[in-house]
Amino acid sequence: MLAVLSVELRKLNRSLAALLAVAAPTLIAIFLFFNLLRGKKAPPWEMCLQMSGMVWAFFMLPMSVTALTALVAQMEHAPRSWDHLRALPVARWKLYAAKAVCVVALVAAMSVLNLIFTWGAVTLAGTIKPAVMPAGAPDLAKHAVLLAKVLAAATLMIAIQLWTALRFASFVPALALGIGGTFFSVVATAAKQGVFFPWQMPVNMMARDAWRIETALALGGGLGLLVLIAAIIHLSRREVL
Amino acid sequence: MSAAIETQGLSRRFGQRRAVDDLSMTVPERVVYGFLGRNGAGKTTTLKMILGLIRPSAGTARINGIDVARDRIGAARQVGALLEAHGFYGNLTGRENLGLTATLIGLRNSEIDRVLDVVEMRADADRKVGGYSLGMRQRLGLARAMLGAPPILVLDEPTNGLDPDGIADMRRFLRSLPDRTGATVLLSSHLLGEIEQTATHVGVVNDGRLVLEGELSRLKADLAPEILLRTGDDARAVQALLAGGYSPVAFEGGLSVAPRPGQDLDQAAAELVRVLVAGGAPVFAVGPKPRSLEDIYRGAAASRSSQAEAA
Repeated sequence: MLAVLSVELRKLNRSLAALLAVAAPTLIAIFLFFNLLRGKKAPPWEMCLQMSGMVWAFFMLPMSVTALTALVAQMEHAPRSWDHLRALPVARWKLYAAKAVCVVALVAAMSVLNLIFTWGAVTLAGTIKPAVMPAGAPDLAKHAVLLAKVLAAATLMIAIQLWTALRFASFVPALALGIGGTFFSVVATAAKQGVFFPWQMPVNMMARDAWRIETALALGGGLGLLVLIAAIIHLSRREVL
Repeated sequence: MSAAIETQGLSRRFGQRRAVDDLSMTVPERVVYGFLGRNGAGKTTTLKMILGLIRPSAGTARINGIDVARDRIGAARQVGALLEAHGFYGNLTGRENLGLTATLIGLRNSEIDRVLDVVEMRADADRKVGGYSLGMRQRLGLARAMLGAPPILVLDEPTNGLDPDGIADMRRFLRSLPDRTGATVLLSSHLLGEIEQTATHVGVVNDGRLVLEGELSRLKADLAPEILLRTGDDARAVQALLAGGYSPVAFEGGLSVAPRPGQDLDQAAAELVRVLVAGGAPVFAVGPKPRSLEDIYRGAAASRSSQAEAA
């Protein structure tokens, strides 16, 4: 499995995956930076981190997952590599599992970057305009736990997006699904039913009701892991014609 | 001689269409086996079933005795494949592309240099594959198929995209492989000339069925002998031969005539010359017609269509 993972990382290393991984948290940080500069009073750190987390969970995360899964799938679809890969003396499930691990790892890395860039953007804005510098120290550990829950709740969405991107040679079905899911995640963020909607499960980690957090985490994380395993099994068993 | 590849009753349906139908083939060890058939005859589908890429609707495929359906990974360890879709990553160099496959199958980097040397690609190995010509990709594909020196190579249309010099080099290279490396080569092609000049054994597939198989030299020897005639006036010669009870066939080298049943070649040649001279057709050359794979192919196709008509 390590050999397959190393091959996947070497392919990703030469793609634009790194750019994508940096771009999404950077955009959130840029938004926060200018938003803070517009203000007159210093908001609490908690509010800055919460805002960054919200934007990440309901919009940037689903869009990033859509783009990342399309990228790792198109790396094989575009040059028509599947026949070569699937003819090798390597268990096929490992080829798909390596892609899933890479996507989850990249999203985790983006979550960490989101936290770092958010802290950096707020600090920079406060340095340029001291009136908006939040007082005290940010509770980065608490926010890191929140982002980890967001990632766990996103597993079901990742599984669905990854399966669609790998199943269809064209990037259109996966892109349409991702755009559609993100659209409803944005326009119906407060909907109660959103807790059952894979693209809204991550943002439900910031809900006030405990049942919503628990339900979204159980469905997004628990069921998501099962769906991810089922997707890998299905993809490795199906014929690629 | 034991079989490197063996299929028994291999069949595959796509919906109502039968792409491969009850195909039983045997590729002996250390030979170059040409798998010949027109486009859409079922060659690639058969190769994909042999490689375990698609499942047969019926029948079995064995590689060095290993059943592909039961032990795909074990069978795949015996095979290096060059498929129609090369699947190279254009943003990586030739060496990096080979490196990915070498890592996946657990080989050292020195193996990459070895196969690059074999296909004479070392000088271009550090260029991105996106800038390679089709011929270079084909050679790189061959190098990748040879990683780890597998005992069997399965090559789907290996001369596609090569220039005439590249085709000649590839033929020479493939012909020499069994002696140089002990490998068995199964190559598919729709080009008669390519198979004739490269293969020692041949299998002809038509509408998904194997209609002919065997050692090429033996198949040629088994062909009914024919006499080649070159005349100064083919129209008059044909008239005279028809009047003499023969059935001449025109081809690009002249006229071809089959002797009468029981008649040996010398007797037939003497009589043919007499008939032509009597008919007023100048005779330039008379001799045994060289047997070609095309004759074998046409004979197999004719026999198949007459069977189909009878059915």
